[in-house]
Amino acid sequence: MGMVVEGKGLTKHFGEGDARVVAVDQVDIAIEESELVMFMGDSGCGKTTLISLLGCILTPSEGDVWIDGEQIDYESRDLSQLRSEKIGFVFQLFNLIPYLTALENVMVAMNIAGQKGDEAEKRATELLTQVGLAERLDHRPAQLSGGEKQRVSFARALANQPKIIFADEPTANLDSRQSANLMNLVSELRQEHQTTIAIVTHHEGLKKDADRVIQMKDGQIVSV
Amino acid sequence: MNRMFLKDMSYRKARVILTTIGITVLIALILMLGGIMNGMRIQAQQYPKFTGADIWISAEGSGSAFIGFSLLVPEHLAYLDGAQPLKPQSVSPLVFAHARPVIRGKLGKAVVVGYKSGKLGGPTQFELTEGRLVTASEYEGWAEADIPPREVVVDEKMNLEIGERILIGNKDLKVVGKARSLMFVLDTPLLFMDLRTAQEVLLKNSLHVNMMIAQAADGYTPEKAAKELENFDEQLKTIDVRTLKQTLGDIIATYVDEPMKAVQFLRVMLWIAAGLIVGMITYVTTLEKTQEIGVLKAIGASNLYISGLIIKQVVLMSVVGVICGLILSYIFAAAAPIFVSIHPIESGIVALISFVVCCAGGYLAARKAIGVDPMVAFRGEV
Repeated sequence: MGMVVEGKGLTKHFGEGDARVVAVDQVDIAIEESELVMFMGDSGCGKTTLISLLGCILTPSEGDVWIDGEQIDYESRDLSQLRSEKIGFVFQLFNLIPYLTALENVMVAMNIAGQKGDEAEKRATELLTQVGLAERLDHRPAQLSGGEKQRVSFARALANQPKIIFADEPTANLDSRQSANLMNLVSELRQEHQTTIAIVTHHEGLKKDADRVIQMKDGQIVSV
Repeated sequence: MNRMFLKDMSYRKARVILTTIGITVLIALILMLGGIMNGMRIQAQQYPKFTGADIWISAEGSGSAFIGFSLLVPEHLAYLDGAQPLKPQSVSPLVFAHARPVIRGKLGKAVVVGYKSGKLGGPTQFELTEGRLVTASEYEGWAEADIPPREVVVDEKMNLEIGERILIGNKDLKVVGKARSLMFVLDTPLLFMDLRTAQEVLLKNSLHVNMMIAQAADGYTPEKAAKELENFDEQLKTIDVRTLKQTLGDIIATYVDEPMKAVQFLRVMLWIAAGLIVGMITYVTTLEKTQEIGVLKAIGASNLYISGLIIKQVVLMSVVGVICGLILSYIFAAAAPIFVSIHPIESGIVALISFVVCCAGGYLAARKAIGVDPMVAFRGEV
C-alpha cells in the first residue's frame, strides 16, 4: 500500500522571541492508504497543529509534506484546490453552514471542487443516505442533533472522494452513545470508500477502532 | 448552490433589508437634492427666456439685471430706443422685484413684474388661460394726477379667481387674468401688472425701473449689440449691458449655484454615507461569519469563491437599493412642495456613482474575508 500523506522534519512555531511557541517539533510521519490513524495526547501537545500541517491548512516553519506522492510547494501550489480535491475535514464543532440544508452542506463542498447540478445532488443524496440521514436532507443544522450534524460533516468530507479525511475531535461534543454510533459509521465508511482517516481525539475508548495510535507530547511523537 | 449568497442573505434578511433601505433612502435624497437644484435652474431661466429679449440693461455696478440693486431713469428709455444696435421700439422698461402679497388674508411670496403693455416682458393674450390682460397706462406721457390701474394677472397655479383681490404694499389689486404658469426660483409665482402699477406699489410711485430689455437689431448679434451699447456709454458709465446668455448665467450663479454649494457638499456626504453603510455592515457581517468563511476555506474554497460570496451580496443590495432609491426619488419629487426636476441622465450617473461607491464599501469586507485563516475552523479562533 502507498503512502497517502507523509511529513518529514515538520516543525511549526508561532510567535517570535520570548513569545515563540513550538507547536510541532521535528515530526516525521507517514500515513498509508486506507489506514485509520488516531492522534492522542494532552491538550496543547500539537495534535491539531500537526493535522493542519498535513492537511495543508498551515504552512510548516520547517519540513516538507507530500500528499498522494506529490510534494507540496507552498509558494506556487494553489492549496485551496488541493484541499478541495484530495483532503476532507471533519471539525469538533461540526462547522456546518447554518443557512444551508444538510444536502446543500454536502453539495457546497462539491461545488467548490467544480461539481454542480444534478450529478452533485445525486451524490450528496447518496452520501447522506449512507450516513443514515435520508430523511433529513432538507433539514438545516439547527434542526439536527449533534450526532446528525457530525454525520453530515462526514458526508461533506467524503463528497469529493478525498485521499484522506482529517477529523479533529469528532466525538468531543457527542454523548457516549452518539460517539459509538459515529465510530461505527466511520468504520463502515472506511470499508465502503477505502478512505484513509486520521482522527485527533482524547477518547481512550476509541483506540480499539484504530489501526495505529500516535501518541504526542510537547509537539513530538512519543509513541506509535 | 450558485445561489449560496442568496441563501446567506435570506438567513440574515433583517440586516440585508436595513442595509438596502439605508441605500435606498440615501440615493433618493441625493437625487432629490439634485432635482431641487435642477428645478431651481429651470425656474430661474423661465422668465428671462419667456420675454424674448436678448439684451438686458441694468444700472452700472448693479451686477446684472436680476442680481443687485438697479434703478434706471426714464431718460434711458429714450436714449436706448434710438440706439442703432437695438431693434427699433423693442426696448421695454421693466420692474422685477420680490414682494410679499397678502392673499386671502395670508402673507405670501411673489415676484412682481411691471411691464409696458405691448412690449417685451409681459404676457400676451396667448399666455392667458383665463380673464384678460391688465389695462395699459401711459408711461412716457404720465401725469401726477393719473392713478395707475389696480389690476394684476396672476399665475394660474396660485388658484386665485378672477375678481379676487390681493394686497401689495397696502395697495388693493384686482385679479383680472390668469397666465400660464411661469414660476421663478423655488416656485415663486409671477404677478404681472402694468409698469406704473408696479412702480406705485413697490417704488413709491417713482418712475424708475429695475431694468430695460430689448432685442438686437438686424445684423447685430446680441454680443455685438451689447458691446456697442457699452461703448456708447463709456463716458457716462450709467448702464450695464448683458446678453441673455450672460443674464441666465448671472441668475443661475446667484440664485442657484451659490446658495446650493452647501447642498452639493451634502450630496457628497450622502454618497460617502452610503458607501460607509454598506462597507460597515458587510464588514461587521463578515466578522461574524469568520468561522463560516474559515470552514469554506478549509474545505477548499478559493479566495475568488469567498470574495465572490461577499461581492455578489453587496452588488445585489446596491442594485436593489439604487433602483428603489431612483423610484423613491421620483415619488418624493412628485410629492415635494416645490418644483423638483430629476433628470433621467443625471439619475443614471448618480445611480452609477452610488453603485460604485457602495461596491467600494463592500470591497473592504471582501478583503477581510480573504484574509480569514482557515485554522479558525478547528478551534473557532486562532
